Amino acid sequence: MRAATWTGVNEVSVETVPDPQILNEHDVILRVRRTTTCGSDLHLLGGYIPFMRAGDVLGHEFLGEVVEVGRGVRERKVGDRVVVNSFVACGTCWYCRQELYSLCDNGNPDPGITEALWGQSPGGCFGYSHAMGGWAGSHAEYIRVPYADVGAFVVPDGVSDERALFASDAVSTGWMGADMGGTRPGDTVAVWGAGGVGQMAARAAMLLGAEKVFVVDRLPERLAQVRTHVGAETIDYSQTDVLAELREQTGGRGPDVCIEAVGMEAHSPGVHGVYDQVKQQLRLQTDRPSAVREAILACRKGGTVFVLGVFGGMVDKYPLGAAMNKGLTVRGAQVHGQRYTPRILERMARGELTTEHLATHTMSLEEAPRGYRMFKDKTDGCVRAVFTPNG
Amino acid sequence: MPKILDSLRGAATEAGGALLGRLQHARLPGVGQSSVTDDPDTAARRWRAVTVLCSPERIGTGADLPAPLAALGDRLEVRITPAPGDKGTELAARFRDRPSDDDLGRLRAALREAKQLIEVGEVLRVDPVPHGVREPTPQGAALEGMTAAAGKEGVL
Repeated sequence: MRAATWTGVNEVSVETVPDPQILNEHDVILRVRRTTTCGSDLHLLGGYIPFMRAGDVLGHEFLGEVVEVGRGVRERKVGDRVVVNSFVACGTCWYCRQELYSLCDNGNPDPGITEALWGQSPGGCFGYSHAMGGWAGSHAEYIRVPYADVGAFVVPDGVSDERALFASDAVSTGWMGADMGGTRPGDTVAVWGAGGVGQMAARAAMLLGAEKVFVVDRLPERLAQVRTHVGAETIDYSQTDVLAELREQTGGRGPDVCIEAVGMEAHSPGVHGVYDQVKQQLRLQTDRPSAVREAILACRKGGTVFVLGVFGGMVDKYPLGAAMNKGLTVRGAQVHGQRYTPRILERMARGELTTEHLATHTMSLEEAPRGYRMFKDKTDGCVRAVFTPNG
Repeated sequence: MPKILDSLRGAATEAGGALLGRLQHARLPGVGQSSVTDDPDTAARRWRAVTVLCSPERIGTGADLPAPLAALGDRLEVRITPAPGDKGTELAARFRDRPSDDDLGRLRAALREAKQLIEVGEVLRVDPVPHGVREPTPQGAALEGMTAAAGKEGVL
């Protein structure tokens, strides 16, 4: 089959690779219909997560049709059109039973790497390096999906591929940030990052009853999408003092819930940005946390900061004093997608959650290198490049 | 020349596995979860443990232990206790004699596999995984060594 692979820092190639095969009884094989780039792929692409091997198939946000099922699969069958959560979770360990699916004990076949780095191993993730299990990604004609009864969800007939695709990760991640950040009716919520995840976090906050929602970014086309398709207010951090603006907009309190949807390559203007760039390039810190810092400083006393953006290692100048003295709750997680996907699909079917606008560029799998260049450089207003491996 | 390159790659693969083994014993600020202050005898005698979401009876004893642990035979002491807070059963094991690093690696893998067999019914496999061309570079070989060792390393 054909697949888009990581071949080196900032290099993507489309190659012919072996077809996947069923290796465990609970596997299915999917013919991939839609698969999308995600901002977190850029950390892999740029070499910030040093556990990629040349030839690894990229992609973790996808939708497809079941073409083969393992003999232990009970609830999925050949022909089902399913959207698949990006994290591999067994559904039976203690973490899965608590609906903390991305922490699954049985989803990462290479646990020694992340245990050594972080003390415990989270679950595995498709197409996200050998630290997260070495699973082949979805930018391919076919993909093997383990624990299919747990992580593959049948898409309702009325929901298009274009919409359901983003239930795989962007919507479920955004929804988790708003939900586990504790958004309540009447709250003010601020979201850093107007990419797919940030937009969906803002939309989820609104659906959970937030009265005011702000999204912070600098890219005009993304901020325009927020206003048009999400219905939230926007703050352009390249033009505005974000902290001052949020204080002014919230009666001096600050947002009740602050959601960071940027991750380890945060862009920041001025001295802070230069400082983080230099320290990251010198390997004196692995990640650039400018959006996390700002979220902590912006958050109201006793509020919650939820970190959705992916971080891999250590950061510098973390405002622990502010977090402690303001009594903040700081949380974070990779996506517990299986917890949210059924209700997300229902809302998609009712038209409450629309995502088609995120797919600004749809193209064939053969064009994946071009798609990643556009997505990384944010050219031509690219918010997400979506690939159609089977036409 | 190919022989030299092969031996370099072989050394890189071994180094990758060894690096992972050492990383867990490094007490860098914020990295590593080791017991580096333990002397080697104490470290070797520590119980390695997983928590399994099942009743204690489900674990079995002796030859009825899950196959990966039973395969290690009488060299193992096994301790089975209910986990607090309805978190299942703590399954701990250690060698009666002084184990080698390889022995400890086998024990970690056996504990993880035993847990999977009980909770899921099978041991998750990832290989053979579809992939494109893998140039035989030292960095790639080191990562392959690390990946190959990953099931036997970690903090157990």
